[in-house]
Amino acid sequence: MLSIRDLHAQIGARKILKGINLEVGAGEVHAIMGPNGSGKSTLTSVLAGREGYEVTAGKVEYLGQDLLAMEPEDRARAGVFLAFQYPVEIPGVNNAYLLKAALNAVRRQRGLPELDAFEFLAMVREKMQLMQMDESFLNRGVNEGFSGGEKKRNEILQMAVLEPKLALLDETDSGLDIDALRVVANGVNSLRGADRAIVLVTHYQRLLDYIEPDVVHVLSDGRILKSGDKSLALELERRGYDWVRQEARVA
Amino acid sequence: MSAAVAEPIAHYRAAFDAVRAGHAATAAQRAAAFERFAALGFPGARDESWKYTSLRRLEARRFPVRDEAASPPTLPAALAGHRIAAIDGAHRADLSTGTLPDGLRLRKLAEAQADGESLGALLRVPQGGGTERFGALNAALCPDVLLLDVAAGAAAEPLEFVFASAAAEPGMSHPRLVIRAARGSTSRIVLRYVGDDAERLVNSVVDVEVGPDAAVHLYRLLDTGSRTFHIERLEATVAQRGAVVVHDAQLGAGLARLDLNARLVAPEAAAELTGLFLADGSRHLDTHVRVDHLAVGTRSLQDYRGIAAGRGRAVFNGKSVVHEGAQQSQARQTSRNLLLTPGAEIDTKPELEIYADDVQCSHGATTGQLDAAALFYLRSRGLTEIEARSALTRAFAGAVMSRIDNAAFAAAVRDALDARLAQLLESRP
Repeated sequence: MLSIRDLHAQIGARKILKGINLEVGAGEVHAIMGPNGSGKSTLTSVLAGREGYEVTAGKVEYLGQDLLAMEPEDRARAGVFLAFQYPVEIPGVNNAYLLKAALNAVRRQRGLPELDAFEFLAMVREKMQLMQMDESFLNRGVNEGFSGGEKKRNEILQMAVLEPKLALLDETDSGLDIDALRVVANGVNSLRGADRAIVLVTHYQRLLDYIEPDVVHVLSDGRILKSGDKSLALELERRGYDWVRQEARVA
Repeated sequence: MSAAVAEPIAHYRAAFDAVRAGHAATAAQRAAAFERFAALGFPGARDESWKYTSLRRLEARRFPVRDEAASPPTLPAALAGHRIAAIDGAHRADLSTGTLPDGLRLRKLAEAQADGESLGALLRVPQGGGTERFGALNAALCPDVLLLDVAAGAAAEPLEFVFASAAAEPGMSHPRLVIRAARGSTSRIVLRYVGDDAERLVNSVVDVEVGPDAAVHLYRLLDTGSRTFHIERLEATVAQRGAVVVHDAQLGAGLARLDLNARLVAPEAAAELTGLFLADGSRHLDTHVRVDHLAVGTRSLQDYRGIAAGRGRAVFNGKSVVHEGAQQSQARQTSRNLLLTPGAEIDTKPELEIYADDVQCSHGATTGQLDAAALFYLRSRGLTEIEARSALTRAFAGAVMSRIDNAAFAAAVRDALDARLAQLLESRP
């Protein structure tokens, strides 16, 4: 589904990604772990098409398309979803409006009819229950005045409504208490499926207790140093990242 | 005085001479008003209150005074059950609709004069400010004065005044409206300017007297063609515990100047002046708002949002003056501005002058662009760049729009704004 080959990216003169290689197949859940500043958020930003990053080398193929050549909205319509680490507050743009506009954009792309107001509301209500969000959130500005946990839930709500093919979760666990973490993980798990891939970027192993990854990658200084199964995450939790770096240097 | 400056005055004098014979009953008042205009002349380059707005193009024009018998324009659907149409400043019963709501009384200048109303009030020349000269010109040239009285204690149904010009014909018009709201009354009045693409000058004066415990809500929509020069003096005097509330939407004209003044002359009088302007294309919109606090416990709010795009330019000058003795007054001002494209410009200047010591005053002004992070967020959810920019721009305007407590007016403003935004965002390279 997603194939990243030798991806290099920088912000201004600062090189951040220094040759990422990653293959994610349909139905798989990948966790990308790494210390602060290793390039985790840059990777998801580049994949979603955020401005300000310059890709200097490498290719990203998504379902056979050149992902990097696509506008952010075209990526979204093709089924790529980024759950932001810091979801932005947009006062005056209604949450329900955004959900509906986003959903209908995706549906048009998939050749499906747009949902009318009634169908839309019924569908969103169901997903909101899953995310344990009050319906009053729909009539508020996007993330306006939301707590950190509410913002993260709102991201996963959007994801649940849009049903992406490739979900990128950027530190979705950060700032969540244990109950909120469970709700968020529950939402993500509900989307696991044979035709959907999920890439979780996280700092801590904690999230992986709730969302079991198929593959764990260690990202450090812009490269993936090591990949393994979920036991790698536990080892990282126990031993930190230094041993991986040392191992990589020796190799 | 140089010939170049004297020249437009000579033209206006000829226009005045041509119509003065028809105004025998008000001749002295009008002649004095015209001389006031002639003495003040057009604003020069050093005139502080016209610092960002040049009238050189207007000065060069020689508009005829409109013949009120000329072809009437097609008017859009009314925004209230009763409409009063003024075409080139003259009341047109044939274009007015509905019955006048209970508690309202409308008279024309001749009737009011016959009833013994003071000419000084009906043809008042405003004092001071950048548009004093045009207020005087209006007093000299206005074909009629519409006098609307709101009876004491009345809670009147909404009313629309629509101001337009004869279709497709260039010219100048000088509409004049006087609203007097008696004690304890409430009235809601739409002031709507519409027009086509003919080149013209609309020089409007609206005088509002708000009586004790009365509230006047004004809903102003400027939606004239892009070759209209629009100059307006809208001035309210507010008595004890009275309130003037203005919802202003400026979405039209080629060059517009509004002086919106509120004088809070008695204790606890209040003014709430909010608005929105959109300077797109090559539109130039200049808004001067001034509130004078002249008594204790007076309150004012100015909250304007401006948007500029293309080669559009806007000027906002908001001033609050708390005079000596106006203790325990509150004056709040906000001016927020959004530039949608690099060539656009908005100059905003909040001003506070305070001559009392026990007051609460605040002011703030910002000018910025659409938030890049918010734009990316919306696009990452599948909205096109145009949809995302439009949603954020509407959200910016929405903060002022949400104050509008008149559904028909709010819908008209929203529709006009949406149409304009769609046009300008889609034409963007």
